[in-house]
Amino acid sequence: MAISTATKAATDALAANPAPVSVGAQEVHRWMQSFTWDFDKNRTKYSTKYKMANDTKEQFKLIAKEYARMESVKDERQFGSLQDVLTRVDAANRVHPKWNESMKVISNFLEVGEYNAIAATGMLWDSATAPEQKNGYLGQVLDEIRHTNQCAYINYYFAKQGQDAAGHNDARRTRAIGPLWKGMKRVFSDGFISGDAVECSINLQLVGEACFTNPLIVAVTEWASANGDEMTPTVFLSIETDELRHMANGYQTVVSIANDEAASKYLNTDLNNAFWTQQKYFTPVLGMMFEYGSHFKVEPWVKTWNRWVYEDWGGIWIGRLGKYGVESPRSLRDAKKDAYWAHHDLFLIAYALWPTGFFRLSLPTQEEAEWYEANYPGWYDMYGKVYDEWRARGCEDPSSGFLPIQWFIENNHPIYIDRVSQVPFCPSYCKGESTLRVLEYNGKKHSFSDQWGERMWLSEPERYECQNIFEQYEGRELSDVIAEGFGVRSDGKTLISQPHTNKDGKLWTLDDIKRINCVFSDPLKAL
Amino acid sequence: MSKSSNAYNAGIMQKTGKAFADEYFAEDNQVVHESHEVVLVLKKSDELNTVVEEILQGSHKADNPTLVVEDRAGFWWLKATGKIEIDCIEVSELLGKHYSVYDLLVDVSSTIGRAYTLGETFTITSELMGLDVKLKDLAAA
Repeated sequence: MAISTATKAATDALAANPAPVSVGAQEVHRWMQSFTWDFDKNRTKYSTKYKMANDTKEQFKLIAKEYARMESVKDERQFGSLQDVLTRVDAANRVHPKWNESMKVISNFLEVGEYNAIAATGMLWDSATAPEQKNGYLGQVLDEIRHTNQCAYINYYFAKQGQDAAGHNDARRTRAIGPLWKGMKRVFSDGFISGDAVECSINLQLVGEACFTNPLIVAVTEWASANGDEMTPTVFLSIETDELRHMANGYQTVVSIANDEAASKYLNTDLNNAFWTQQKYFTPVLGMMFEYGSHFKVEPWVKTWNRWVYEDWGGIWIGRLGKYGVESPRSLRDAKKDAYWAHHDLFLIAYALWPTGFFRLSLPTQEEAEWYEANYPGWYDMYGKVYDEWRARGCEDPSSGFLPIQWFIENNHPIYIDRVSQVPFCPSYCKGESTLRVLEYNGKKHSFSDQWGERMWLSEPERYECQNIFEQYEGRELSDVIAEGFGVRSDGKTLISQPHTNKDGKLWTLDDIKRINCVFSDPLKAL
Repeated sequence: MSKSSNAYNAGIMQKTGKAFADEYFAEDNQVVHESHEVVLVLKKSDELNTVVEEILQGSHKADNPTLVVEDRAGFWWLKATGKIEIDCIEVSELLGKHYSVYDLLVDVSSTIGRAYTLGETFTITSELMGLDVKLKDLAAA
């Protein structure tokens, strides 16, 4: 009987590449990779200025069957313990209330990053030509879907089993009014999925995953444990078990372009831009979550950063690539200053803007103030005395008529938003690496907090057109904006966010905010 | 506290307050320095606790004197100079059940360095795989 052309081709291929006798997963992987594909006429939707080599290897030699088995075991271990053991011992209510609030931010923000990483790695699959490299990227696409579900699940768990569900259950509804959301999207979506495919890999895999997932997903579990949270280590350490393959994918991206002339022209600039983009947001936000969102401290954030970012990622990842022309990021000096001070600057602003958030914040206690001063000499004179003043003016009490944002206005310390990172900053009251720069383009003023973002904007201004909250709500009264932006609980009047985590403390309502008559004003219009 | 240069709180990390800040901001620390260390984060589990205690800190302790293992609540944090290798055939023998390299990867939570598998061996190395050193395939059957 005649056989079809396709069947004959398959038969011939099998004859040339006989199947292995055993079924060891890595032997199967080797066998499958011997069916090399011809990419001479490959047309990619997401092109890159780099030429990616097509003989790159996949470091983990993974096939679908082993991948599925491995991931199902991970999920069984994780969800099994969450649904059974931790529920039975009422673990969610043993978490310190401050840390419960931090997890509203950390799990919601990570979920957005994981979701965008699905698209990012799909794009990389489309651009790569080496079959093994494609296999690695494909595995990552599946991982990122898993991680998105894991992040959503931990919110579901906290909302269902834990304390003060508001914020765990509906954080994303507040994305228009919360000033931290837009910066998170800048660092966790735009950098991963927009522009050159290899540049996206550098953002996602070489910097985001190889560098910042270690503090974000690994070190965070120490802080969680110290504050009574046994759910987060179970979920986050499981997420990270995939990240090491993602780091290997990023490394193989670099290997694949090592012999391309474009690498010597572009790689260090792309790496520096990716590092600055990631650090500009992660450095202050993670430090703020760890130190100000916990009761029990593990170590100063600057030490965590020094270990995972500077010594390990810098020395082991980047330092070892020096002989291939990969340079230490030129923005490192400024990043190190930020790692010491920027999270303190950001908390000052975040607390001042608390009504626009989806989580509860609390002022440092006397004991915490002493810890900050011991680890960051000069902390009290800059920050501690401001918190003492805010507390004395009744900032936690809805009847006080005082919002900390008024302190910035009274003392002529305007808050701006960096056009590139979307991170708020106060140039006249900060110790991190932030200085005000204003540029005009198409009749509109743009503020920048540093030279690195300014350089990126000058080369592609159309990439950073996102409106900030001051532009978006100019002239609008705060309580109206909060109501419009879903910043209230299910009773329709009590704010999700609160300036304390005291279970017995009074909760602020829209009426309390309206009485203060706080009106949004764009500081750039005053210049 | 361990005096090993690979310890969690080694070097600058032992310092606090102004002493830490002075070294952290020192001119020499404003660029990254090449390092030949590797870091491995292992999620605590029945199998991985055995690997750490019985193999890495037990029967193979003398093979890798630079290896430091620290308990960080939910995970083991390991740091060594050069490389760390785990042979899953050896782990299978110890556990008394089949334990493949992909079973190991269920609980390998993070790596800093170049990680890869070959056969039933997991390796994290400071070598530049694919650049300085060719990444090996299994030998042809």
